[in-house]
Amino acid sequence: MKYILMMTGTKAQFNWYASWPKEDLQAQFEFMHAFNKELKDSGVLVATEGLAFPDQARIVRAGRDGEPLTDGVFPESKEFLAGYWIIEAGSPEQAYKIAARASAAPGPGGQPSNMPIEVRPVMSAPPPEML
Amino acid sequence: MKYILLMTGTKAGVDTCRAWSPSDVQAHFKFLMRLNKELSESGELVANEPLAAPDEARVVRAGKDGTPVTDGVFPESKEFLLGYWMVDVESPERAYQIAARLSAGPGPGGVPTNMPIEVRQMMSRKTDEPA
Repeated sequence: MKYILMMTGTKAQFNWYASWPKEDLQAQFEFMHAFNKELKDSGVLVATEGLAFPDQARIVRAGRDGEPLTDGVFPESKEFLAGYWIIEAGSPEQAYKIAARASAAPGPGGQPSNMPIEVRPVMSAPPPEML
Repeated sequence: MKYILLMTGTKAGVDTCRAWSPSDVQAHFKFLMRLNKELSESGELVANEPLAAPDEARVVRAGKDGTPVTDGVFPESKEFLLGYWMVDVESPERAYQIAARLSAGPGPGGVPTNMPIEVRQMMSRKTDEPA
C-alpha cells in the first residue's frame, strides 16, 4: 500500500528554519539526501518533493465566470505543506517507522528535530461506486 | 515550471462531502476524470494523488530511542490535504487557471463548489538527487 508522509509548518516555523546556522542546514540536507537514497535503494520510495516557501503560496477560487481569483493572505496558524514522501509499505507500522526516521532528522546543534510527520494512505483510485 | 495544486479540507468539510447524494458525488468524480484526461493530453499533468480520509491520518514523531510515537487526535480546525495535482506549466497564471477549473467543480445540485485550491511552485531539484 502507498502512504504519504507529510512535513508541514506555519510561516513562523519556516522563518525559524531559514534562520538556522549554515552548518545545521547542511547537516539536515545531508541527512535527507542519505535518507532519500536509502529509501530509493531499498525500493520503498515512490516519490519525494519539496515545495517552495509559503510566501509564494496563493489560494485560488473560481470567480463567477470561472476565472481565477487569487489570494495570498493566510491566517498565522495555517500549516503549509513543506514537502512529502510517498512510500510503498507493507503495513502502517512500517510507514510510521519510516516517518519516525524523518522526524529524527537533525535540527539546530545536531539535536533530533522531532518534527511531526503526518502519515496517511494514498488512494489508488476513487472507489468504483463513485465512477 | 512545476506547480502543485493542493485541495484541503477540515474533517467537518469532508463529512459534508460524504453527505452528498450519490449522483452529485458521481458528477464530481466524472468532472475530475475529464479534467485529468484533458491535462494528461495537454502534457501538463505530472502527478495526481487522492489521499485517504482524515480519520486514517496519524501524526508520527520520533520517540527518545527513535521509535515512532503516533497520535491520531487533531484540532477541529486542522486542514487536511485531500489530494493534489502537480502540473508543469509555462506561467503561474496557467497554474491558477487550472486551479480555478478545480474550484469550479460541481457540488450538490451541480452548483460549483468554489472550494479554495492552494497553488505553490515546486522547489527545483538538483539532478544528482535521488527520485
